[in-house]
Amino acid sequence: MNEENKSKQEIIDTEVALGTVHPAALEPYRVRLFVEDEIVKDAEITIGVNHRGIERIMEGLPVEKANALTEKICGICSNAHIWNSVLTAEKGLEIEIPERASYIRVIMEELERLHSHLLYLGHGSEVLAHETFSMRAFSIRETVMELLRMIGGNRVQYGVSIIGGVRPRCELDDSRIRKIAEGMDLIEKNVANFADRFVSDPIVMNRITGVGQISAKDAKKLEVTGPSLRATGVHQDLRETMKEYEPFDFNVITLNDGDVKDNILMRVLEIPESISIIRQAIKNLPKGSIVDRSWEMKDTGIIHSHIEVPRGTLYHSYALEEGRVRGTIIRTPSMSNIGAMQLACIGNHVTDAQLCIVQCDPCFTCTDRAIEIINK
Amino acid sequence: MFKITILYTILAVIGTIFVAFIVGTFIPGIERKYIQARIQQRVGPPVTSIGIMAPIKFAFKENVEINSPAPGIYKALPVVCFIVVLVIMLLLIPKVYVAGVLTSVIAIIGLLKVEEICYVLMGALSKSIMSSSLPFPDIVKGGLHLDSERSFIEDISSNRAFRLIAFGSFPLYLALIIPVIKVKSIYLSDIVAYQVAHGPILFSAAGIVAAIVFFIGYMILLNEYPFAILKTKADVIEGPYMEYASKYRGLVYLTRGFLMFVLGAIFSVLFLGMPPYLLSWKILVNIAVALIFPIIMGILSAFSPVFTNKQFYPVVIGTSLLGILAIVLTLL
Repeated sequence: MNEENKSKQEIIDTEVALGTVHPAALEPYRVRLFVEDEIVKDAEITIGVNHRGIERIMEGLPVEKANALTEKICGICSNAHIWNSVLTAEKGLEIEIPERASYIRVIMEELERLHSHLLYLGHGSEVLAHETFSMRAFSIRETVMELLRMIGGNRVQYGVSIIGGVRPRCELDDSRIRKIAEGMDLIEKNVANFADRFVSDPIVMNRITGVGQISAKDAKKLEVTGPSLRATGVHQDLRETMKEYEPFDFNVITLNDGDVKDNILMRVLEIPESISIIRQAIKNLPKGSIVDRSWEMKDTGIIHSHIEVPRGTLYHSYALEEGRVRGTIIRTPSMSNIGAMQLACIGNHVTDAQLCIVQCDPCFTCTDRAIEIINK
Repeated sequence: MFKITILYTILAVIGTIFVAFIVGTFIPGIERKYIQARIQQRVGPPVTSIGIMAPIKFAFKENVEINSPAPGIYKALPVVCFIVVLVIMLLLIPKVYVAGVLTSVIAIIGLLKVEEICYVLMGALSKSIMSSSLPFPDIVKGGLHLDSERSFIEDISSNRAFRLIAFGSFPLYLALIIPVIKVKSIYLSDIVAYQVAHGPILFSAAGIVAAIVFFIGYMILLNEYPFAILKTKADVIEGPYMEYASKYRGLVYLTRGFLMFVLGAIFSVLFLGMPPYLLSWKILVNIAVALIFPIIMGILSAFSPVFTNKQFYPVVIGTSLLGILAIVLTLL
């Protein structure tokens, strides 16, 4: 035990461990709360029970198979994983995909953002024990899920992106475009109603305001990413630098308080931006092919790719050798946000601890992978 | 002739309790199916599933070995709770008012306190797997605060149950003494007789305020959202009930439905002067009250998040002040 822990030990004498299985947690993880009179003085999150060794399984696989495997990393941002994995290969192989394919990928990613943010609202409300808001958020999300199913043929694993473009079955014809447009109108209306009810509920706002507060300084220090970072007032969104998003106008939302309230509002406010991007994409969808199959395989060095996914920055990297994947590293946004989750719990009531964790939108199943700790 | 009258009376008392029990088994289902599910725009569970089918199902399930320092006492507590509720119901029936001081408001308050103490004991005696240690990640890996005393999540529930006894359920008991102050008698028979002569206490200024206080106390005692601090899903999950399985869990469900009816019957006796009795039309009023309270409770809980201390304390203080106002109005 180091000196810092020893000094903390003198004042903290009770530990409450939640998990690895707990009904307020969507996935198995363990949080140890060190409490005094039900106020959390320190918190420690332990992950690792979901480790599946995907990087190891990917080692030596043909790149197309490896890409398909990445989609299994997460049940929520599955499209983001396969997109980023495919982007990694395309960077290494210097493939320029058709513009129409790029638009379809953006549509899929923004639909996934909508579904992820609505899931966040539903789960957050459930942890708050507000079943009605939770059910309504899940009800709104159904429209998005059906659109994803329509394009990808599946509600969880869509398999849209392939090296060189998008899979032919995911082509957007006029009927599909019309359904997407109608879906966006419906979601926009329903989310506006939901947001109106949510922010005008004094009990709910009293319950979440000031809970799990993280300052911008702490967020930067802990390398928080995604909406959780932007909720602290830091303007950072990788979509601004991604060439796929260059044709689209959208605002990067930032809020200042970094608490549960701002994290929830951040997701609510990002939903109209995603709807706007999807509308621009279907309105200006270029004509032409959706896949370029003229590329040739070659060996590459280590290739890196970062993209902005619903929870923050997703990183994939690997090298290609005779068409096979070597040395895969995948880093998901929740890995960066674990520190913030622990910090957010401190000073709050034990009932709010799960809420403080959920406010950072964790996806521990994505995050569980072996890491090498290098002492410098 | 006298013997036949006694027999009829005994049968009527048993019948009253039976009707109360049967209605009580439907109440949780009605609340979930027709109130909360409708508000949440979903189908909801079958109306019989929570109060009737679940206890029947649990009765036939295999029990699990309970991890408790006193498993015998722990398993007996749901039975104690059920008996307490049964006795309260019995004492509310007019034919039992001959039992003297047992059929007084003080006796009912005492029995309700026994119910609350059972929650403290349940929490204290339960050591579920939900917060057991994982030696490898907690200790070997170099976790924080290695020598901290480990507390089970049921212990938190137990502490909260104790707080409920100390002050959380105070509003309910304040409301219960309003009729006593009004009638200047602790006996249920006097309270009923007063209301037969002067009309229900509910229809006075003090009665209306006391009814509001009673209702909030009712929600707190039943641990319904937003006051469900004993069994908050976000931390203590099922709290004191965590380790109950098979017939014990079934009994917990039955007791909850029965308690919902009995609390409604207490309100009918104290504020409407209409005690439950099978051979009187007044039992319909008892059933109506027993249904109206969960309906209002279902609406409130569907639109409320669970409270933490920050919200719970002010609500209890505010409701207690309302109760004191009702007492002042009664004394005027």
